Amino acid sequence: MKLLDKLQILADSAKYDVSCSSSGSSRSNRPGGVGNASLPGICHSWADDGRCISLLKVLFTNVCIYDCKYCVNRSSNDIRRASFTPDELCELIIQFYRRNYIEGLFLSSAVIRNPDYTMELMIKALRKLRHEYRFNSYIHIKSIPGADMRLVHEAGLLADRMSINIELPSVSGLKLLAPQKDPGSILEPMGYVRERIMESRELVLYKKPQSFVPAGQSTQLIIGATPDSDLKILTLTERLYRNYQLKRVYYSAYVPVNSDENLPSIYTSPPLLREHRIYQADWLLRFYGFRAGELLDENHPNFDIHLDPKCDWALRHLDQFPVEINKAPLEMLLRVPGIGYRMAAKIIRARRIGPLGFEDLKRMRVVLKRARYFITCSGRYYGGIDPDSGLLYQLLSNKADNKVMAGQISMFG
Amino acid sequence: MIYVTDGSFEGILAAVFEAFRNREDPEEITLGGDFQLSIAAGIREIPTDTGKSDRVWRGVQNRISEKSLEDLYLAYLSEHPRVGLYIYRYIKLGLKLGHKVEEYLQHPDVQAIYDLSRRVSKEVHLFLGILRFKKLKNGVFYACYEPDNNITQLITEHFASRLSDQAWIIHDRKRDVFALHNGEEVVFTTGLSGIVHEDCEEEYEELWRRYFTTIAIESRKNLKLQRSFMPRRYWKHLTEKQL
Repeated sequence: MKLLDKLQILADSAKYDVSCSSSGSSRSNRPGGVGNASLPGICHSWADDGRCISLLKVLFTNVCIYDCKYCVNRSSNDIRRASFTPDELCELIIQFYRRNYIEGLFLSSAVIRNPDYTMELMIKALRKLRHEYRFNSYIHIKSIPGADMRLVHEAGLLADRMSINIELPSVSGLKLLAPQKDPGSILEPMGYVRERIMESRELVLYKKPQSFVPAGQSTQLIIGATPDSDLKILTLTERLYRNYQLKRVYYSAYVPVNSDENLPSIYTSPPLLREHRIYQADWLLRFYGFRAGELLDENHPNFDIHLDPKCDWALRHLDQFPVEINKAPLEMLLRVPGIGYRMAAKIIRARRIGPLGFEDLKRMRVVLKRARYFITCSGRYYGGIDPDSGLLYQLLSNKADNKVMAGQISMFG
Repeated sequence: MIYVTDGSFEGILAAVFEAFRNREDPEEITLGGDFQLSIAAGIREIPTDTGKSDRVWRGVQNRISEKSLEDLYLAYLSEHPRVGLYIYRYIKLGLKLGHKVEEYLQHPDVQAIYDLSRRVSKEVHLFLGILRFKKLKNGVFYACYEPDNNITQLITEHFASRLSDQAWIIHDRKRDVFALHNGEEVVFTTGLSGIVHEDCEEEYEELWRRYFTTIAIESRKNLKLQRSFMPRRYWKHLTEKQL
């Protein structure tokens, strides 16, 4: 088979994995080596679906023993199958890298023969890439569920980031759609990787550190293949960040690729807006000091599609608004709809010099479309309407423009 | 008064020096001799005197901050027609306020420098990603681009450490600036027009284009989003967009 065809097959099989981030690792080049890793990550292109391309995202092979119902590579599907040889893959990475097409490699795989065998093949390719081809840049490896911990450890020494995809947010969903996979085989390695990461950081104190997935681990959840609520997903997310110290949880709106009585029909379009709302909420958890329980609860288990989650929260907590832009602490500024992290920091800096008026905010390019209803500037309110009048929902809802309907917001890791 | 400089950063700093010495607020500080004449304003030619520009340089470092100097230089690289004046006004305010001027974001003169320096650093970051090298038949990697801002010097360092064992050329076609890397050091030069027409190897370009089209998910197609990250004016030199 021609390399061109292989690449097409193995990229096509990998494209439903959303993670493409190349951040969180910093490594300098060495003499005779190729490349380095840049801490904030670099996007190299954007595909026609608007998702960023940073890493070459391919499967090592799409030959699979499993028959997971939602997956395009399931064994019962009649699709073309291919596998890279380690040298083909290494050469491709190096040549792409030298032309500045990519930041590194995201290597995943279908399960060929058994999990250990698959993982060994992947490790062999990575070892070659790191040692023979002297590749110094970013590698993200997907750990194969069910593989031996010794192999997980070995892979972690070669990679910058490791991910183990949970895919289905509940055990019941997993049983229904991926009956051959054991839920324990997902969480066990996650716990193991967390331990090894912590260990490798501690060792720094008294000996040369062994680099073990320096950019941390991540996972992916599929949105909309099972009836799980946003609350369930977000609670799981919070637990993953807290208990497993994950760097990222990715969400992937389910794209129907197979028909099955237990799945949404093949004609349903992916729930992109819902995915976007969950990403926004994910951001609120990680950077804005929100807890999942504040954003959603049993009486309100799903996000309002027409409002971003922060707006949604603010409208249910109008008693905390408006906040005075010149006095409010950072934590509260971050809770104002429309004010992001960067803007809040800017406001805090600027108000040290002198009080800020509404015009000052405009000049500083604070987006006031939503924020104006929730703030005062030196005591004056510029919203123009009574926030308690019930009109706010109408004014704020459904302004979601297409531009923000991104799966991945690319600037951050 | 219109101050005419040679367009270099030093030239602008020398103009700032002159403005302070003459105790006047210039109406404009030009980037080179190509500027709009005004009936009311006189013209003052400012020779680029490094003694004077050094004094301003050090003044900014010591009495304002290192960060401010960096921001001013980044803003300068935007080549915005009014950047000379913005730099003067920022320095004037900065000498009054000290390092606090960095935080005075509600002030229009500070905002102007902030905006321009951000615009430049954003484009630098973008091109670390979307600059494309072709491998010429002679083995040299050649990248051609047309950035909005004069950023060749800023992106070069990144590629010198990353692609350190390669011979490469980065060519800003808009400004006729070349950065040449021979595997050891970088040299900047102009006027090497011959390279543009050389043939390059096609194999990996083809593979990359195939990858690019394959990785997009058809049912999520969103060209507007794509353009918001990667504006169309940059497509001309993108391998994956030459279909």
